[in-house]
Amino acid sequence: MLAIETKALTKKYKDKTAVNGIDLKIEEGELFALLGVNGAGKTTTIKMLSGLILPTSGDITIEGLDMKKDTLKIKEFLNVSPQETAIAPNLTVKENLEFMAGVYQIENKDEKIAELVKQFKLDEVLKKKSKTLSGGWQRKVSIAISLINDPKILFLDEPTLGLDVIARKELWKVITGLKGKKTIILTTHYMEEAESLSDRIGIMAYGDLVDVGTAQELIKKTNAKNFEDAFVSIATGGEE
Amino acid sequence: MRALNFAKRNFKELIRDPLSLIFEIALPLFLLFIFQQFNLPNELFKINNFTPGIIVFGFAFISLFSATLIAKDRTSSLLIRLGTSPMKPKDYIIGYVLSIIPIILIQEVLFFALAIALGLSFSINILFTILISLVVSILFIALGIFIGSFASEKAVGGIGSVVVQLVCFTSGMYFPKEMIGDFFRVICELLPFESCLNIIRGTLNGDWGMISVRNIITLAIYLVLVLVLAVWLFRKKMVSDNK
Repeated sequence: MLAIETKALTKKYKDKTAVNGIDLKIEEGELFALLGVNGAGKTTTIKMLSGLILPTSGDITIEGLDMKKDTLKIKEFLNVSPQETAIAPNLTVKENLEFMAGVYQIENKDEKIAELVKQFKLDEVLKKKSKTLSGGWQRKVSIAISLINDPKILFLDEPTLGLDVIARKELWKVITGLKGKKTIILTTHYMEEAESLSDRIGIMAYGDLVDVGTAQELIKKTNAKNFEDAFVSIATGGEE
Repeated sequence: MRALNFAKRNFKELIRDPLSLIFEIALPLFLLFIFQQFNLPNELFKINNFTPGIIVFGFAFISLFSATLIAKDRTSSLLIRLGTSPMKPKDYIIGYVLSIIPIILIQEVLFFALAIALGLSFSINILFTILISLVVSILFIALGIFIGSFASEKAVGGIGSVVVQLVCFTSGMYFPKEMIGDFFRVICELLPFESCLNIIRGTLNGDWGMISVRNIITLAIYLVLVLVLAVWLFRKKMVSDNK
């Protein structure tokens, strides 16, 4: 079954087209990476798919529900870990988890929090105020929070941006652990991240979804030596 | 329930900010105490008249710090996360308002406790004043939501200080409007702060003659207007900030 389907999805801002009529199909349980240079339209696409902004035109269907008609129903089973760390700074890690559990009206709140604490090994920071944590920990907490409602669909917008190698690899482990259990849409600038984590990759450029395929398919299609070269070739229309 | 959950989070954010506590509670308490030590020969500084002034002065800082919280939330990704959740716009507004009410109550209890210690007679009017103040405080909370919805976190400090200055100079807490000429008197009457103070002062003193119809109408108009504007702007900005 399809988790996400878009038809001619478009977002325009006055004279600028941020997303230009993209058709996208993402299967349930798939980890789909959206790749593109700055301003390609990745974050705008995620914002539309997560119900944060309305498209100018086009349709979005999530788990068979129409985003226009069933926004609130859809919002119950998706979650987002935004590009910048999205946690309440003066609240402890535990309070942040409790707060978001309240937002989603989670019934077995304590059980769910205990499960996330175990999964993300949050014990040592549980009582610390979020603003005192390192960037790596904050990002980890931010992703843990995004799982509080056990979402069917999870959007990870640049989850490892600005993290050091060790913190990044640690988060990769977490994301790999979620593979197959959730439908994950990941945006990233890092080629190796997209290549090693995702099932399929969509490459965006200037608002268009230029190509979609597995890393190997895209390398083969462009006769490139590696995925980075394949990406450059596709994103620039073969001009580089 | 979602609004209450959001209010709980907002209250913790506000109460754990030491600057917010200093300005919303400690500074007004200090001013109330120090002005009573000078024994100034002016009716305005008598404890039964100055305490209401301190209440309105404390409200000005409520505007400042609620605006700061909202501006911070807007610029952080927290509102993006909440924007993708099933929370509705009304949950945000109610959540912000409800989180500030307990702080207002803490202010009032502490201000009156000190005022009584400094010589204010205990009466049922204190209870009425607290209730009336809660209504008046909605104007200042709405003002905070309004400012926080359009200003950046840095700009909020400047705009908030203007509100504090306007309260000090136009409410009549430090000097009567008649002292400073016709032009300034009209400004005092056009702004809502003098009306807020007169209503609270009249209630505390049980002197209803202190409260004019103009005071009630001015407060009512500003309260509804600022609240409607705040809700409208907050909803508008929640969409446009996420573009």
